[in-house]
Amino acid sequence: MALFLASVGFGLVTASVLAIAAVGFTLQFGVTDVLNLAYGAIMIAGAYVAYVVNQAGASVWVGLVAAVAVCSLGSVLVNSGVYAPFQRRGTSPITLVIVSLGMTLIIEFGVEAVAGGAGVSYTMSQGTTFHEGGLILTTVQLVIIALSLVIMAGVHALLRYTKLGKAMRATAANKTLARNCGIRTSRVITVTWALTGALCGLAGVVFAIDSGSFDPTATDIFLVLILAAVFLGGPGQAYGAMLGALVIGLATEVSAAFIPPDYKYVVAFVILLVMLGVRPTGLLGAPA
Amino acid sequence: MKLATVGLALALALGVTACASSSTTSNSSAASGSTLTVADVAPFSGPDAALGPTYLATCYGATTAINNAGGVMGHKLACKSVDTRGDPADAVPAVNQMFASTSNLALVIGCTSDEAAAVVPIINAHKMAMFCMTGQSEFDHVHYPYFYRLVPPDLEEAYAMVQIAKQLGYKRVALAFGNDIGSQTFIQPAIAGLKTAGITMTTNQTLDLNATTFRTEAEAIIASHPDAIMTEALGNADPTLFSEIKQLNGGKVIPIVATSAAISPPFFKASAAAVGASAFTSNFHADNLVTESSGPAYAAFSKALLAEQGKVPGTTGNFTTYLSAPGGVHLYDGINLAALAMIMSKSTNPSVYGPDIIKIGNGVPGATVVYSFAQGEAALKAGKAIRYEGPGGPTSFDSYHDSTGIFQVDTYSPNGTVNVVGNLTAAQLRALAG
Amino acid sequence: MTYYLVNLLIYAAVDAMACLALNQQFGIAGVTNFGFIIFQAAGGYTAAILAMPPKSANGGFQSYIGGWNLPFPLPWIGATVAGGLIALPFTFLVGRRLRGDFAAVGLLVTAVLLNLLVTNYVPLFNGDAGLSLIPQPLQGEFNPLASGYKWGLTVVALLLCAAVYWFLRRITESPYGRSLRAMRDNDAVADSLGKNLLSLRTGMLVLGGAIAGLSGGVLVSYITTWSPAAWGYAETVVLFAAVIIGGAGNHRGAILGAILVPVGFEEATRYIPNSNSLPPNLIPSLQWVAIGLLIVLFLWFRPQGILPERKRVIPLPGLPAPRAGPPADGEKAAPAAPAISVRPRAAPPESPGPRPAVLEAVDIVRDFGGVRAVNDVSLAVRRGTLTGLIGPNGAGKSTLLAILAGTLRASSGTVIYQGQDITGMPAYRRARLGLVRTFQLASEFKRLTVLENLLTAVPSNRGDTLRGAIAGRRYWKGDETAAIARAQAVLSRFGLESLANSYAGDLSGGQRRLVEIMRALMAEPTMLLLDEPMAGVHPNLARRIGNELVALCQEGMTILMVEHELAIMDEFCDPVAVMAEGAVLAEGTMAQLRRRSEVVEAYLVG
Repeated sequence: MALFLASVGFGLVTASVLAIAAVGFTLQFGVTDVLNLAYGAIMIAGAYVAYVVNQAGASVWVGLVAAVAVCSLGSVLVNSGVYAPFQRRGTSPITLVIVSLGMTLIIEFGVEAVAGGAGVSYTMSQGTTFHEGGLILTTVQLVIIALSLVIMAGVHALLRYTKLGKAMRATAANKTLARNCGIRTSRVITVTWALTGALCGLAGVVFAIDSGSFDPTATDIFLVLILAAVFLGGPGQAYGAMLGALVIGLATEVSAAFIPPDYKYVVAFVILLVMLGVRPTGLLGAPA
Repeated sequence: MKLATVGLALALALGVTACASSSTTSNSSAASGSTLTVADVAPFSGPDAALGPTYLATCYGATTAINNAGGVMGHKLACKSVDTRGDPADAVPAVNQMFASTSNLALVIGCTSDEAAAVVPIINAHKMAMFCMTGQSEFDHVHYPYFYRLVPPDLEEAYAMVQIAKQLGYKRVALAFGNDIGSQTFIQPAIAGLKTAGITMTTNQTLDLNATTFRTEAEAIIASHPDAIMTEALGNADPTLFSEIKQLNGGKVIPIVATSAAISPPFFKASAAAVGASAFTSNFHADNLVTESSGPAYAAFSKALLAEQGKVPGTTGNFTTYLSAPGGVHLYDGINLAALAMIMSKSTNPSVYGPDIIKIGNGVPGATVVYSFAQGEAALKAGKAIRYEGPGGPTSFDSYHDSTGIFQVDTYSPNGTVNVVGNLTAAQLRALAG
Repeated sequence: MTYYLVNLLIYAAVDAMACLALNQQFGIAGVTNFGFIIFQAAGGYTAAILAMPPKSANGGFQSYIGGWNLPFPLPWIGATVAGGLIALPFTFLVGRRLRGDFAAVGLLVTAVLLNLLVTNYVPLFNGDAGLSLIPQPLQGEFNPLASGYKWGLTVVALLLCAAVYWFLRRITESPYGRSLRAMRDNDAVADSLGKNLLSLRTGMLVLGGAIAGLSGGVLVSYITTWSPAAWGYAETVVLFAAVIIGGAGNHRGAILGAILVPVGFEEATRYIPNSNSLPPNLIPSLQWVAIGLLIVLFLWFRPQGILPERKRVIPLPGLPAPRAGPPADGEKAAPAAPAISVRPRAAPPESPGPRPAVLEAVDIVRDFGGVRAVNDVSLAVRRGTLTGLIGPNGAGKSTLLAILAGTLRASSGTVIYQGQDITGMPAYRRARLGLVRTFQLASEFKRLTVLENLLTAVPSNRGDTLRGAIAGRRYWKGDETAAIARAQAVLSRFGLESLANSYAGDLSGGQRRLVEIMRALMAEPTMLLLDEPMAGVHPNLARRIGNELVALCQEGMTILMVEHELAIMDEFCDPVAVMAEGAVLAEGTMAQLRRRSEVVEAYLVG
């Protein structure tokens, strides 16, 4: 029982990291219709940016800011330089997925070529460990959870109350119609990529902090968890991504308490496949 | 249409390979004055990427010393790396490619557990001598005439870990091994050994090396209240596990008993970064294959190896660790044994010099003991029979060409240097085998 | 040297087989199978466990299922069967109307999942260590180390590759292959023309899977080892890169891609001088970066690949050199073409009184989330009429048409066709019953020629099944020739014979409309559902089309036509139904409708 409670706590941490990542991913897909499989690679690039800053002597939280900036800019460039031109040409979604796989290889192994394949860690203190109600969490982990909640609230506020958020939702629902209503869709798209790219960088650093030790290929499997969260909640649905992240995060950690832990990701994968087979629009998406 | 396709494939293939360098077969003696190649067949990428450069470092050390002493019958030696990528399916083509494109291949070193089961039969079929670093049990009893092993079987290494735990007074031990080939082989013998030693195994967690967090596993370990953890999970897994155990355990690292694979600069670097150098080193022991740390053999080895500092690609961290890195030391011995055997048999053909490896390693009554290549060469020139004893200690090959070393207990200093803090005897390990 | 050459050739043969299979799935049939490597893996493992001795042999150091020590060629046959069988569970991902990119993601995840399961569950295939010491074919009779043996194995592998190439070409160059390519180009349209997408995709998955399995078996017999590291999802990416670069849709392109990418590229990098000053992982990392770059650059600059898909030119008998206009006087007339055979299936009864309804919609409702697009619509279309369906934008006309055709499901209500309740029937089955639709937006099969577009619609070509395709040209030649003749007649009726061998995607808007209509006619419909067939078409051409449609109705066809242009309704349609806001307002002749005030208000202007 104690292990179960503890694993719930761990699940919350994983869910927090996943939530930040999944919301960014799903908004990219919702607004621009691109399944950006290079998302994981950009995450790890952000993690390494923070690592470089950290090695130069600064705190990793400073590095986090740097990573956010770099990944935001980088994502905008990837979209305007690669995805958007392909889309303008009328490329099919499946070919775009293949393009994004190509970008994954370029970015991830570009990082590996420069940084090497060995594992690295941030130099940071994890703070004290709290044992509360069966949960065991360090200060840093609590910060991560809090950060994630703040981000979720911010995204919610953005989508619901700001003009930009409404423009994003409109563009996601029907780009042509949005443009006809006077929304500057190309600007909305650029801003979306900048914002979600920032989320991606943030997710990457938080992921690396949470891992203890990482290398350029560390996000390969994590990307599948992101996909599981996104598809569980419904692709393009920000709230769905949050819900999906919670479920997947908890499921992977809690299952490790009951089944041999080397199978813990199997649970997430199976959930994803079942969703795709049974209800591809996700729990919060409209039924097909 | 069919023939055109076949012809197309053949033509293209021939065209590409027309530029390939030709290779002599490995069965004839090398042309005089040519350079002999020693191939380091090991992982240079993947989770075990630390191993390839480790062996390469000692290869450089050995071959440079040999060349400085005049080489082998007028031939100089050079090292070549062959990246197996740590898995059998990549290793086999890499080895085939090596045979096809390496002129004057004289010896193979390396072949770790990651690929040995697949490549040893191939190298043996090519009649090439090899010194392998695999403790896998199949090589305890299967006859490969060209296979030589200077490291103990994994079985023994598992017992060594148990013996360390026993000596340190641990009564409860948790297991945490990775799901890859090399690490999985320790589990069963460890469990059996713990039982024989009367130590309770509190939990057995298998770690997926692809995962990036192991919190639940760490918590399960902590909740089982072990005195120590026996572990091998290379790559990022062990450092991550240690870090998470520390977090969940109120800032305390649980004592670690690791395998010899943990004696490597990248492992130290990652673990120290994950939990802090002093926290790590004050809670860490590993078994390691015995290597000398003083004496004439060590002096020669140390001189030869340290001269290569900064010249070996892929080596990182504290170079002096390579003086006690597992396997590296023994492969240095293997190269020396092979070189001396070549001189003794007056041939660079493994089919000819192979038996002399055994003679020089085991010695004949009245043989002169030599501690380096230079000494051995001089003694041979003077017509004496020799027995080689290198920094890996005395060898004694059995009929399967396995020479079981003895074990020592290693720790790290906070700056990464390796210290030997104890020794284990063969009798102790035999007692655990039950 | 021998070893090296043999190595290269066997890898070339194995990779070529794998790329051919992938090309068949992806380049020809449009099934993007990101889990492709699983099939090769299944074949490899099956061949291994069939050939290996029981697991207690070799010292018992490996644990695995099977171990029946079967002689060659049983392991290879087993590998092929396993590859095909393991495709079956995948069909749930590709058969449904799942977005292509979603299905691709699902397949990729499946590959990762299976790799993880095999790695962790050791008793199955020895986990991460994989299987080693796999017996080679006939190693009891021959010495596998002899150079003669190795060359023998190489030749066998190359011959198998050639056989696979020949076999796949036979399938692709048949009417069945044409249907596959049509499905690739536009699956919704293929569905509406009677193609059973699920069956086609399943067929291709199983077939491609079997060939991939065979390639795995051959590979395993050569390298005598097989482990999870050999089939991560990165391998699938490499194979996709190979097919794209070589030329998707062209089997020779697939072979070329295999030689260039997995073989050429990886082999070439082994030649880069082993500079000991570079970090050892630099070259492999850069290799991957280069593959990524190649994928993106090729998809941008040359998406058709180095060897693009060839145009299938079908020579038409008696057709003079292509010219734009009608044949000049004095030219040899075309040989007697069969009469326009758009004969409806059932002969029209000559009974007095109102004609029977061919198609009836009863209380059809369709909701999209909160919006009710079709609101309790009941409509009957009578035999031999050219019935119009008109209404403002958003009235629900196209939605209703889609429901009648089967492209969309009704939320509630019934559709009755020729007395039969077809409400639950999928579109392709309705097409086979003679209920055929066209689409509002351009929906020609772009990478098929005009003639091929027409031929895909023919419902009863013997070569249009997998079995028929395998049986070969002689089996289906008769049906094909008859179909070509019909197509030629239709083309000349509409004056487009000269464009027969042009890509449908290259035509002008008006011409593409005609192709759409002609194609629908080729399907031998009893009833046509036309969705704005005149949209964007020159008025003269529109008139010609209208006249043709009227003529068809006089011959017994029934047509329901959705249109905007009132003039068209005036001229050709009787009766006409008006829809607005999801409901039918009124029905009657145009004259009657113009007199009804609510219709005038809703839609008609003056």
